[in-house]
Formats: sequence, C-alpha cells, structure tokens
Amino acid sequence: MITRYDEQQLDALRELASIGSGTAATALAQMLGRPVELAVPRALALPLADALDAVGEPDAMVASVVLPTTGCAGGDRGDAEIIVLLLFSYSCAANLCEMLGVEPRSELGDSALGEIGNVLGASAVGAFAQMTGLTLEPQPPHVLFDMLGAVVASILSATAGELELALVLDASLTVEEAECGLSFLLLPTVGGADELLGRLGLDPVPPTR
Amino acid sequence: MGELAVSATPEDELVSMGLGSCVGVALVDRERAVAGLAHVMLPAANAAYSAPAKFADRAVPTLLACIERLGAERERMIAVLAGGAQMFAGAKTGVGGLDLGARNEAAVRSALADAGIPVRAAATGGDRGRTVRVRVGEARVSVKEAGGVEVSLWHPHFLADDLVEAS
Repeated sequence: MITRYDEQQLDALRELASIGSGTAATALAQMLGRPVELAVPRALALPLADALDAVGEPDAMVASVVLPTTGCAGGDRGDAEIIVLLLFSYSCAANLCEMLGVEPRSELGDSALGEIGNVLGASAVGAFAQMTGLTLEPQPPHVLFDMLGAVVASILSATAGELELALVLDASLTVEEAECGLSFLLLPTVGGADELLGRLGLDPVPPTR
Repeated sequence: MGELAVSATPEDELVSMGLGSCVGVALVDRERAVAGLAHVMLPAANAAYSAPAKFADRAVPTLLACIERLGAERERMIAVLAGGAQMFAGAKTGVGGLDLGARNEAAVRSALADAGIPVRAAATGGDRGRTVRVRVGEARVSVKEAGGVEVSLWHPHFLADDLVEAS
C-alpha cells in the first residue's frame, strides 16, 4: 500500500475540508432560509478499491451534483483540480426542489439542484482560494441521477490518475426540519492536493512505491 | 474499483457494482464453471506499479492468467463487457474529458483481440451506470442499468433456461 500523506498533512486537509464545508453549509442555509447542521468532516487517503466503499453502497441510486474546478497553479505541479461532489437521496432532491419552489425531476428542478451545487462548491473553493492564494475556477455543474458507484468511480478515475490512492474530503450537511442530509465531498486530483498542501507549507513527500 | 476476481466455485457470483466510465470485463469458459471479472478504470498504464485490474492493457492478460490457473481453456473462452458510459456528457475538463468510457472500452476490446478472445455480448456506452453479475455455475452474465431491471447478457446455449437462479 502506498503511504503518501502523513497524519499532519491529513489533519491539514481535514482542516481545509472543515472550512470549505462550513462555508458551504452557511451558503446552503442562506439559500434555503433554514438552519443547516454540519458534522465533523473526514479526510481520508485510501486505496482506490476502498474509497468507493467509504462513500457508500456502489449500486444505490443517488441524486448528485458534480462541480469540477480547475486551478491555475502557475507552477510545474500539474493540474490543480478539485471536483466538488454533492450526494443526496431522491427524496432529499425533491425536498430541496420544493423549498426552492420548483418542480422536482424537471428541467427547472435539475437546474435548481445544479445551482445548489454551484453555490456550495463555489463557496468552498472560494475559501480554499483565499487561504492558499490558489486560483480555482468552478466549471458548470452536472446533475446526475444514477448509481453512486458510477458517479464516484468515474470521478476517481480522473482524479487518482496513476496513483492507487484516492483522497476523499467528506462532510455531511443536514437541513433541519426537512429530513434532508447531503454528503459534501471534495475530491482533489493528486496535483490539486499537493498544491493545496504546498501552499500551506506542508509539501507532500514523493510517493513511496 | 481496479480489482479483479476469479472463481471455479459454481455457487459463486462475481459482481461489479456501479460501473460508470469503468468497464467490467467478464471472461467465461463456455464449458466449465470457471469465470473471472475485472473492473477496469483507465485505458493504459504508464506506471510500473498498479492494481492488477485498473488498466485495460494489464487487466486482460492478468485476468486471463488467473482463470487459466483455475482450469479455463482459452479456446473455450468468451468475453462479455459492461460499462464504459459517458457519465458527464459535454464535460470539457477533469471528470469527463475525452470520453473516458469509450476509450476504456476500446482498450479492453483491443487487449481481448490480442489475446484471441471473442467479445460475445456487451452493454456499453450511453450515460447510465451499470451493475454486472457473473453467476459462475451457470456461466451467465447479466447487467442492470441504473433505474432499470436486470437482463441476461449472455449464457451458454446448452444450459437449460429453467435452472434455478442463483442469487
């Protein structure tokens, strides 16, 4: 197994996840006009094969919003990208649409969910950008209703690249009085995580193979 | 993800759940209850080290070697593919660029052609996730698309259809 990140670096990433998801929770609360509770986030560096299991049941049907962000690191570290992923149940998707006054599972409903992803993702990466001085630019969101594994594995294929490691920053947001829980995941590419750590003065060690 | 499994135990069922752009490659011996399944994530390996099934160009030979060790014969072997979807249609960067699913499928097909193994059935492409199951005893491969029902993709003709479904 590859040990790439040490405890101190994982702590730093957890702290980033905490700040990012805190900002996202505030943005969601403002958007919905309801309190949003935030659980303590996790930062996991896992072998690819285990990363999916850590997120949930691979063939469970979920609603998801995927927001890729591209970074301009201006160095030779490669692409600094973070994929923001929101996962929630179908019923939660319907609740969110109702709160925003749009028909669930309609073009407008999907667009509203994409907007939630946009606002949450942009506020989280905005906080990262402020802390690290990194330019992170959110791309248009994708709204998918599909198998959890299909969504997550397709993203991890892109973020993990040659490494056998997936970095998962995971926080859960609960919209109060709405029976609605969202998983808020930040999936940095290896270049993205290295860049964030480098900016925090915790340069990553080269991978041991 | 990036893993493979083989079995010569008739009661076994090999499963890859939630395939998106990944491709599930099933190899089945038509006459013996020996089968294997690999979960391919990317077309080709650059790194010297990798999980056995992550890259198409490595997964096919590795899977082949593993099921031959369990007594499968190459002349009787067929392949069935599932997955290779384009989950993020229209994505320009990161998550969906350059249709990873189609490239995965092409790489798997090319590796299978090199090994002389025919692809007899495939449920690939599109934009939905899939779960693929291989019932070793029946040599049956089935697929279920997200939001759909399970359908049989391939099974040997000499096996009666009234065999009890192993689930």
